[in-house]
Formats: sequence, C-alpha cells, structure tokens
Amino acid sequence: MDRTKICSLILLAVMLAGCGKAKKPILVGSKNFTEQVVLGEIIAQHLENRLHRKIERRLNLGGTLLSYQALQDGEVSLYPEYTGTIEAEILKETPSPDPEQVYERSRLELLRQAQIEVLKPLGIDNRFVMVVRSDEANRDHLTTLSEAARVKPGWKLGVGYEFEQRTDGLPALSMYHLPMSAPPRAMDLGLLYKALDQGQVTMIAANATDGPLASPGRTVLEDDKKAFGSYQACIMLREDMIGEEPRLVPALNQLSGKFTNAAMRKMDAEVDVDHRQPSEVATEFLKQVGLK
Amino acid sequence: MRPGLLSDIFELTGEHLVLVFSATAIAIAIGVPAGILLTRRAEWRAPVLGIANILQTIPSLALFGFLIPIPLIGGIGPRTAIVALVLYALLPILRNTLTGILSVDAAVRESAVAMGMTASQILRQVEMPLAARTIFAGIRVATVATIGTATIAAAIGGGGLGVFIFRGVASVDTVQILAGAVPAALMALISDGGLGWIERKFAA
Repeated sequence: MDRTKICSLILLAVMLAGCGKAKKPILVGSKNFTEQVVLGEIIAQHLENRLHRKIERRLNLGGTLLSYQALQDGEVSLYPEYTGTIEAEILKETPSPDPEQVYERSRLELLRQAQIEVLKPLGIDNRFVMVVRSDEANRDHLTTLSEAARVKPGWKLGVGYEFEQRTDGLPALSMYHLPMSAPPRAMDLGLLYKALDQGQVTMIAANATDGPLASPGRTVLEDDKKAFGSYQACIMLREDMIGEEPRLVPALNQLSGKFTNAAMRKMDAEVDVDHRQPSEVATEFLKQVGLK
Repeated sequence: MRPGLLSDIFELTGEHLVLVFSATAIAIAIGVPAGILLTRRAEWRAPVLGIANILQTIPSLALFGFLIPIPLIGGIGPRTAIVALVLYALLPILRNTLTGILSVDAAVRESAVAMGMTASQILRQVEMPLAARTIFAGIRVATVATIGTATIAAAIGGGGLGVFIFRGVASVDTVQILAGAVPAALMALISDGGLGWIERKFAA
C-alpha cells in the first residue's frame, strides 16, 4: 500500500468517526467561588433532567477573565455571569443601579461583540452591599447608609479589592460622605466578616448574596441613594449552541426568575458554613422550585 | 505609564521592604537562638521542628483567620502580616542553625574541650564560626522566600506589593499584576545576589 492510500484510509476513518459521533457536548462552566459552583451545578442538573443527554461540568474556573475566555473559545458552552461584572470587567463601563438598563446593555453588546447570548436574569442581584454588625445597627437605629453617615462620626471600613478598584465601588460610596476615622482597609473577601465580627472594622463592603449575611448578627444597610450598580446573575450562552440543541434555550429559560437573593444566601451558607456538597444543595433547590 | 502608578510602585515597594526586613529580622532573632538551644536539647528537636514544619503548611488565609482575634499580635494590618511571615520564615533558619552546629567535626569540639574552653567559648569561638555559612544559607533562603510570601500581606490590609496583585486579579488588570510581580521578583533577585555575595565572604 502506498502512502496516498494510507492517507486516504486515515482520512476516511476520521470522517466516519466524525459522522458516528454524537452531537457537540454541552459544557457547563462556572467561576471559582461557592455561589458560582452551586449555580453551575443547578444548571447542569437541570439540563440533565430536561435534555437527557450528557452534560459536562467545567466548574471552578479561575475568575471572570478565564471563564469568559473559555466561553469565547468554546471550551465552555455556557456559564453564569453577573450583568454588572459584564459591564465593569468585559465592557469596561460603570454598571448603573438600574437592573433593566445594565441587563439590556450587556445583552446587546455581547451579542454584537462576541455572538454570546445573555439569557433572562435568574432572579439574583448580587450587588455591593454595606454591612454592619446588628448590635451596632440596633443601638443606633440604622437602616440606611444615609442614616449611617449622619449618626456616627467615625466609621472604620473594610473592603475587598474589587470594591476598592471598581468605579461603582468605593467612588460610588463617596456619594454618602460617610465620616471615617481611618482610610478604608482593603483585604481578602474571606477575612472581611471575621474582621467585622472582631470589631477590627465597623462596616464592610460585601456582596448581597454572601452566605454569612444569612446570619442575624449582620445587618445590610439600605443603599437609599442608589449608589451601587446592579449585578443580576444571568446565564451566558454561545450563540452557536442554540442551533446545536433547540431544546437548550427553553430549558435554561425555565430557571429564570426562580432564584431570590435570600435563597441564594441560604445555599451559599449551606455549602460554606455547613459544608454540604454543592451538588446536593443544587438537587434540593431544583426540587423546591418544582423543576424536578 | 498610567499616572500615579510609579509613585504607587515606590510606596508599595517601601512597605514591602519593611514587611520583609521586620519579618526576617524577627525570624533570625528567634530562629538562631532556638536552633542553638536545640543542639543542646536533643529531645526537643523532633517536636520543635515538627511544629515549624506544620506552620509552613498552614495556608496564609487560614493563619490570618486564626490571628485576627488574638490581641497584641493579631488584628488587621501589617503587624498580623509580619507575625505570619515570621512563622513561615522560621523553619529554614532553625533547621540550618541546628544542622550547621551539629555538623561541626566532633574532633574539633573535643580539642576545644581539651584546651579547657568553656561551653559558651566553644559556641562563640568554635561552633558559630564553623556553622556560619550554613546558618547564613538558611537566612538567605528565608529572606528570598519571604519576599515572595510577603505579597499575602495585602490579604489582611498589610500593604506591600501584594496590593497590586490583589487589585489586578480583582479588576482583571494585567498591568497592575505586573506592577506588583516585577518589583517583587527584582527584589528577590537582588537580595539573593547580595546575600550570596556575603555568604561567600564567610567561606573565604
């Protein structure tokens, strides 16, 4: 057998293998923190239940940059992302406090720039929130940030680096003219609540669905001047997957509006505090909302 | 170059140097005497080295979590970061001090005894000079490692070049990540070279 024959045989084999192969796999991604892993699990399990085909999980990808890159390259077919994050990190704009506006703009821009669909919001708005200890809030009767600025002379602020860096973080907070006794301390997100509990700082910038907020010891001060941008969680999906599997978008849309911040906080706390498996928490959630 | 970036680099490099210098100085002040003590107390070696080994394996965030509630050495800010860095730097210094002194030839030590030298004379005039190079090698390893590890100080509001890295990671900004990583790498190379040069002087 000469070389041409071998080559054409190999080619034929490859083509046959291609024909015989099942449809493109659906790859569900997520970023590398609890909430994302739980959301990724919920999406993956829901798709398994509805589509009865193999769903591959690629959860725990390191951060927005990496996950978005993976989505663009087709290494994941979809992953949950927050509209404010799309606006701030991908489009490099300042997210507005108006959820509709941030969603519409993210959706149109990603479709235009990257052929990526941003599906209808899941129901979570994981925006920045300012948190104080409940004993302190009760003592001074604080419910809003404006009151916090009026009542107390010297706040000690603990923030994460995202809040420090983003235009919709620290600069947005300055709208309240919060009196501070020290410059804000930036630290790791995981240590913020510990620092607040220990009284090392008196107010922290957290995220609305953080598990620790499920505990009654902490009070979220209302952003009464609408300073912080909206971060609704949405599923981002590659446009080419829509033609690939026509049942995909309808199935994913069943999840939209099924979540609340309170339910998400609870799930985050179940994984982080009670050390339950994200997959278990996800199954339970799907049952609760009647999707299983 | 972005406005303000250069002055930030200088400021944070300064903070980084303070972190590294304080942590290594304290680690030497604890590690060398403790190492000497261990040469005299064989039964303490295994437990003490064991603890130093375990300290190395505790992830920095977990360590910070333990340290925040502790009065005087804890809290948030550079002090807690220095405590953590000292704990991480201890092992190489401790171990090299111990090995350096133990590897002094028994014949040398015996002749010192025969010459009528006291224990403290033997330590200062015989053992320490002969072990100096090994001890110094431990200090060199600890210093270079601390320059790298000190970036974690930013996780607890302790400043230093890690601030750039944390900011860069949080805002998907490679320029900031490099603004932290490059000066830290240069600092490590320079101090490794400098300390290596001093180390060779010891050998001469």
